[in-house]
Amino acid sequence: MTREDRMRKWADRDQKRWVWVAFAMPGIIWLTILFIVPFYAVLAIAGGKLNQIFESPIPVWNPLNWTAASFTAVFHDFVGQSAFVGPIFVRTLIYVAIASVLSLVIAYPAAYFVTRFAGRRKVFFLALLIAPFWISYMMRMLAWIDLLQTDGYVNRALVDVHLIGQPVDWLGGKSMTVILGLVYGYIPYLILVLYAGLDRIDQRLLEAGRDLGLNRIRTFVRITLPLSRQTILTGMLITVLPMVGDYFTNQMLSGSESTSMIGNVIDSQLNTASQQSQGAALSLLLLVFLLAPMLYYVFQTHRASKEAF
Amino acid sequence: MSVTAPSAPALARGVDVDPVDAGPPPPVPPLLPSPKRWQPPWRNPWRRPWILESFTWLYLIWSLAPIAVAVLFSFNNGKSQSAWQGFSIRWYWGDPINSIFHNPTLRSAVEQTLRLSVFTTVIAVPIGVAFAIGIHRWHTRTSASFNFVMVFSYVIPELIFGVAMFFLFTQLFTFIRLGTVAEVLGLVTWNFSWPAIIVLARLVSIGRSYEEAAADLGASRLQAIRRVLIPMLMPAIFASAVLVFASVVDDFVVVDLLSSTANTQPMSVIIYANTHGGNGGPALNALATMMLLFSFVVVIAGLVAYRWMTRGERGSSRHDAMTSIAGM
Amino acid sequence: MIGLTSHPREGWSDDGPRRSQTLSRRSFLAAAAATGLGAGLAACGKSGGAASSTSTTAALTTPVDLPRPDSPVTWPIYSSNKAIASGLEPEKNATLKIYNWVAYVNQKDLDAFGKKYKCKVELTTFNTMTEAIAKLRSGQFNFDVFVPTVDVLGQLVSAKIIRPLNHTYIPNISQAWPQYTSPFYDQSWQYTVPYTIYTTGIAWRKDHVDEDPDTMANAWAMPWQAKYKGKVAILDDYRESMALGLMKNGILDLNTSNTAQLQAATNSLLQLDKLVNLHIDNNDYSNVPSGQIWIHHAWSGDMAAAANYMPKGTPVDVVGYWFPSNGKGPVGNDTLTVLSGGNNPVLAHLFLNYMLDLPNALENVSYNGYMQPLNGITPQVLVSEGILPPSLTSTVVLPSYFDNGLRELELAPTVDAEWEQSWLRVSGGV
Repeated sequence: MTREDRMRKWADRDQKRWVWVAFAMPGIIWLTILFIVPFYAVLAIAGGKLNQIFESPIPVWNPLNWTAASFTAVFHDFVGQSAFVGPIFVRTLIYVAIASVLSLVIAYPAAYFVTRFAGRRKVFFLALLIAPFWISYMMRMLAWIDLLQTDGYVNRALVDVHLIGQPVDWLGGKSMTVILGLVYGYIPYLILVLYAGLDRIDQRLLEAGRDLGLNRIRTFVRITLPLSRQTILTGMLITVLPMVGDYFTNQMLSGSESTSMIGNVIDSQLNTASQQSQGAALSLLLLVFLLAPMLYYVFQTHRASKEAF
Repeated sequence: MSVTAPSAPALARGVDVDPVDAGPPPPVPPLLPSPKRWQPPWRNPWRRPWILESFTWLYLIWSLAPIAVAVLFSFNNGKSQSAWQGFSIRWYWGDPINSIFHNPTLRSAVEQTLRLSVFTTVIAVPIGVAFAIGIHRWHTRTSASFNFVMVFSYVIPELIFGVAMFFLFTQLFTFIRLGTVAEVLGLVTWNFSWPAIIVLARLVSIGRSYEEAAADLGASRLQAIRRVLIPMLMPAIFASAVLVFASVVDDFVVVDLLSSTANTQPMSVIIYANTHGGNGGPALNALATMMLLFSFVVVIAGLVAYRWMTRGERGSSRHDAMTSIAGM
Repeated sequence: MIGLTSHPREGWSDDGPRRSQTLSRRSFLAAAAATGLGAGLAACGKSGGAASSTSTTAALTTPVDLPRPDSPVTWPIYSSNKAIASGLEPEKNATLKIYNWVAYVNQKDLDAFGKKYKCKVELTTFNTMTEAIAKLRSGQFNFDVFVPTVDVLGQLVSAKIIRPLNHTYIPNISQAWPQYTSPFYDQSWQYTVPYTIYTTGIAWRKDHVDEDPDTMANAWAMPWQAKYKGKVAILDDYRESMALGLMKNGILDLNTSNTAQLQAATNSLLQLDKLVNLHIDNNDYSNVPSGQIWIHHAWSGDMAAAANYMPKGTPVDVVGYWFPSNGKGPVGNDTLTVLSGGNNPVLAHLFLNYMLDLPNALENVSYNGYMQPLNGITPQVLVSEGILPPSLTSTVVLPSYFDNGLRELELAPTVDAEWEQSWLRVSGGV
C-alpha cells in the first residue's frame, strides 16, 4: 500500500461508509435478484426432474437433490447413436471464427484510417462509422434480406455484370450468407472498440518511429500493432462472445437446418416443454465453455479500472 | 523547416495549431545541401493514404447503402421488398389493412417498443448511476466483487442471459408472468452495465478533489454529491441514458424470450417473426425505419445536450461528444 | 399442452397467416405457465392415471380416455352438466359469442345468422388451442360456441366446459356425413357436430415437376429427389412432418411409440435434407403458387385457396395437390360445441344447426378454404359454385377418407417427448 493509500484509508475510517453502501444497494439488490438468482434457477432446472405426467421441467431447488438426467440427455445429443448437436456446435465455431477474422480484417484498416489519417474529417468519418451501432440489428438484416431476394438488386447486379448466369438463391441455406450476415451484424461493435483503442495510441510514438527512419508499413508493424494488441483482443472478445449465442441471423438469412447454430438448438429446446431442461443444461454447458474468455475480459476491465481507482 | 509553420504530422492529426505570430522569420542559412534526388512517390511519408481511404469508403458504402435501400423500400408502392414499384407512404399510414397506423399488431409493436425503452431507461439509469457512485467510493472486496458481477453481465452472451431470465419468470417468480413487466425487468438488468461502466469511468477521471473542496466549504457529504458530483456527472449520465434507450429499441433476444402475446411484442420481434414466417412486405421496412428514427432522434438529442452540458469544459469537442454517446 | 395435434390455423396471427411456429409455441408456453396448465391430463389414462400433484388449476384428476378410430369413446354425461330442455325459444336481445380460430368463419354467415334470429353475433378469436383452453378454464369468459379439435374433447368434457347437445335443435345433422352421427371421438354425437375437415398431402407444381404422384407407388417419397434441390419444403410442425417420414417408410400408425419406426422416420428426413437442402416452413399457401417451392408438404385448405396467390399470368392449374386415393393419409377435423358457461344455449344450438345447412356451409367454405363434411359438398358442387378450381378438386375430402384416414391424435407424454426430440434432430433447431 502506498503512503497515499494509507492516508486515504485513515481518512476514510472516520467517514461513515453507509452513504456509499446505500448508493450501491439498489444496484446490488437488483443484480442479486435478477442476475445471480436466475442462474441458480437455470441450475435448478438443469439439475431437476422431469414431470412424468406432463414431461415439463420441475425445478429442484436443493442442490443435494440435483440429478444429472438433463445433462446426460445433452451428452447423448453430442455423442452416441442419436447425436446431432456435435456437428452443429462445430459449425457454430467455424462460422464464428471465420466471421470474426473477417470482421477484424475489415474493421481494423477502417478504424486505423479514421484515427490516423482522417484529419479534419475525423468527426464526419466517426459519425458514419458508428452510425450502424444505433441502427437496429433487425433493420440491418432486413436490408440484406431485401437485397438478396431472388429478384433483388444483388442478383440483378451480378447477372447484369455477367458474373453469374442465373439468379442465385442466397437466402436458401447458404453458409456464406450466414457468415456475411454475422460479419455485417457485429462489425460495428468491433469498430467501436478498435477505434477507441487506436485513438488512444500516442501520436508522438508514431512520430518517433518516423523520425527513426521507419516507413509507413514498418511503423505499423513495429509500433501500432503491438500497442493495439490488447485492443484487438478485447474487440474480438466483444465480437465473438455474442456471435456464439446468435440464432436469429441464421433464422432470418437462411432458415435452413444445414446452417443452424447452437443458439438455434437452445432456442428450439426452450420452446418445447419436454426439452426445456435440456435447453437449460445446454446453455450452462455453453456458459462453461465461454467462461474462460469471459473471465479474461472481466479481469482485464477490472484491472484497468482498479488501476484508476 | 520553418519554426513557425505547424508540423505536418500535427496537421494530419487535425489539431488546430495556432501559428505563432512573431513577424517574418529571420533567414537561416541552410546547414546542409538539400538532396535533389527524385524519390518515387510511394516513398513520400506524407502522401495521402489513398488505399486506406478508398478501403474505408468502400466499407462505409457496404455498411450503409443496404440500410438506405431498406428505408427506400419502406416507401414502396407495391408489396415487393425487392423490386421498386413507385413511391407511396401507404405502409406508414395509407393502407387500411397493413399500414403501421391501421394495423393493430404493428401499431402496438411501436407502442411496446417505446414503452419498453422509456421504462427501462428511467429505471436502469438511476440505479446504474447510484451503483457506480457507491462502488467507486466503497472500497472493499464486496464492492469489488459486485463490480465484477456487473461487468460479467456486460460480457455474457445475450442468449444465455435470456435463458436464465426465461426460467426465472416461468419457474421461480411465476407471479410475474412473461410479458411487459418481465421484459422491463430483463432489459433493465441487461442494460444496467451501460450507466454503471460509463459513470464509473467518468468518476475515475473526475477524482475526489471537487468533493473535498465542497467539504472544505462546509457542505455535508450528501450535499456535496447532490450539488457538485451529480452536475459534473450529468454528461455521462445523459450519454448512458441515450445508450440504454437506443439499446432497448434494438434489443431482440431478451424481449423475444420474455414476450408472450402479440401486444407484448415490440418492433424487433414483429420484424423477426414476420420475416421468418414469410409474411414480410414493406410494412416491416416501415417498422424498421421507425425504429431507426427513434434511435436517431434520441442520439442526436443526446449529442446536442451533451455538447451543451460540456460547453465550458476544457478539451470538449464534437469528437468527445460522439465517443461518449457511443460509450467509448 | 403436450401432444396437441396440429391445426391449420394454429399460430395464425390476428391479421393474417402464420407467424413463426416458435412464436405460437412461446405464447402457449406462457399461457400454460400462467394458469398452471400442463394439464394434458387426458394422457393420464395411458400412463396409469397418476394424479397431478403440482397442478394448481381445477383438478382434472380422473383419467380420461384417448379416443382412437379403433377404440371409439362415448363421453359421460354428468348430472351437473345436462343438456338443455327441448322446445325452448331462442333468447331475446342476446349477443351470441363465438370463440373460434383466427380467420376461420365467414363474417357473412355470422351476419346472416344474426339477422335471422334477431340477435347480435360477436366473434372472438384465438391463436392457439392451448391459449383457448386456458381462457375457457379460467371461467372468466361466457362464450357460447367453441371450435375445438378432436383431441381436447376429453378435457373439455371432464372439466364440464362443454354442454351435451340436445339433438332436437339440430335437425340439419342429416346433411352431414352419416359417420358424424357417431364419430369415434364422440359416439352418438353427444357433445359435438363437425365443423371442417382437412387432409395433409403433397402440393406440387406441374410445370416444373415431371412426376405425377398419382402414378407413383409411394407418392409420399416424391420429395426425396435430388434433382429438385432447393425447391422442396415440408411443414414446420413436428407431428405432420414426422408423419411424413413415417409414411414414406410405409408406416401408417401416426401415433406410434415404436422407437425404431421413429428412428426410421428421422433418418429419412435427415436424408431428405441432405438430398434437397430442405426448407421447413408453413407457407405452402404462398410458396407453391409463387413458384418458390415446387414440392411442398401441404394442407388441403391452404392449397384450395391457391388461386388467390398465383402471380399474374400464371394459371392456377399448374398447382396440384395429391392425397392418397385410398384415403390412407393424415385426416383431421374440428368440431362445433356449445359451452356450458354461455348465456345463450338455445341460440348456440341453433347456430350449430345453421352451420350444418348447405348454403351457409358453402358460404363459409368459399371464405376459409376448408371444406365441411356435408353430403351436399362434393367436388362437383364446389367447382360449379366457383369456389374451387377444377384442378384442385383433390383438396376436397371424401367421406371414405373419414373412415380410412390416418389420424394424428394425442400422444402419451413420454412418447410425445420422443417425437419432439426426433424433430429437433431433423430441424436442428431452425
